[in-house]
Amino acid sequence: MMTWVRYTLPAAAITSIASPSYAMQYLSIDEAQKQAFPSATHFTEVQAGRVWKAEAGGRIAGFFIFDRVVGKHLYIDYAVALTPGGAVHSVEILQYRESYGGEIRSPSWLAQFVGKTSGSALKINGDIRNIAGATLSSTHVTEGVKRVLAAYGNRLR
Amino acid sequence: MAIASDKVRRARPLLGTFVEIEAAGAAKSKMDAAIDAAFEAVAQVHRLMSFHEDDSDVSRLNREAWLRPVKVDAWTFRVLEAAVELHRRSKGIFDIAIAATLQNMGLLPRPDGDPPAAVDGRLFDSIELLEDLMVRFGHRDVRIDLGGIAKGFAVDRALEVLRGFGLASGLVNAGGDLAAFGREPQTIHIRHPRDPRRLMCRVEITDEALASTARRFDLLSSAETTGSAIIDPATGKPTDVIDGATVRAGSCMMADALTKIVMICGTEAIEWLELHNASALLISSDGDVRITPDWHHAVHLAA
Repeated sequence: MMTWVRYTLPAAAITSIASPSYAMQYLSIDEAQKQAFPSATHFTEVQAGRVWKAEAGGRIAGFFIFDRVVGKHLYIDYAVALTPGGAVHSVEILQYRESYGGEIRSPSWLAQFVGKTSGSALKINGDIRNIAGATLSSTHVTEGVKRVLAAYGNRLR
Repeated sequence: MAIASDKVRRARPLLGTFVEIEAAGAAKSKMDAAIDAAFEAVAQVHRLMSFHEDDSDVSRLNREAWLRPVKVDAWTFRVLEAAVELHRRSKGIFDIAIAATLQNMGLLPRPDGDPPAAVDGRLFDSIELLEDLMVRFGHRDVRIDLGGIAKGFAVDRALEVLRGFGLASGLVNAGGDLAAFGREPQTIHIRHPRDPRRLMCRVEITDEALASTARRFDLLSSAETTGSAIIDPATGKPTDVIDGATVRAGSCMMADALTKIVMICGTEAIEWLELHNASALLISSDGDVRITPDWHHAVHLAA
């Protein structure tokens, strides 16, 4: 019969590896567009920096909408791909940033991530990591997708 | 020619959390196709087993299975079979018929016109798995929720899809329930269950699965954790002895389900961990960390 091995975790030890911020870059807008519409030959910007029309051989393949949800400690860039009929085709996370110093709304903090290519890396103190533990809720992105659908689902045809 | 160090990692909002899928060691087009297909497997589990989607197998069962046998997808049937087996082996501790309690607590929504169901620990026994993927509930108050097992099952299906593409390695992480394959070990950092801003320890896994349970949290509004959604069937109340648990097992479905048993039984869960060849780490509410002896070499605490 196995028995548990017991440890007492000193509070100081826990804080010692706390990180001020995590960031993960999954896809650039360009990459996400190609991912959502692999057959598309042309992306036309319908609304600057936000909405693109995907075309394949002169026909509309769908629409690509860039959006972000900004919170107290989390900042998520995501993209919604819509079918030509205005239904959700896919939702993809482009970037994800966690921070704990309240710096998330400051332009200079956000600027450090601008122009980063898709290195596909969650960086904590420079290393690539996988994180597990308490479940991070995706409710706000789901709500964001509903807003995108309400705003564009019927308008883009 | 593929470059071995090439890898692609993408994320989508699915199963109520963020699902990350990584592929490595193949041509970019192959890795992209593998990740697309793996996400599709997760989305399929979401469509079939979500409590929140009206036309999921779970919702149809909760509405109709007490009236007549309901045919479900082969995947849903597999999860139900595993849940019934775990219920039997755990002497009722693992219980998918807990949805009515979660509804009464406001942790799960109640569909329009669905009256409050009576909460009775013996309801599980009236779930009948019949031939030809048919399922019947023997009582009108049975409400199932596969939240304690379906996420792990989704990770297993997605990983199976990735394997089928002949990649060097792959990883699927559904909000902390994760599994990986490949020769190189993967390092996983586990958040502190009390304070998800902090990392408590790191664990290495190779060709195995890891599931973690703690309180839920939402970094868009704060870093505070909310209450545990794990109910002790014996008391009908949320568990409070254990703050968080991480289980290592061969499959993510088993790891996922075992975290619920550890949260409810605490150290006494060791019997079931051993039975399923699994290891675990648990953090009790007094701050002590306990690790099964077969695993403590793989866990690196922050200290």
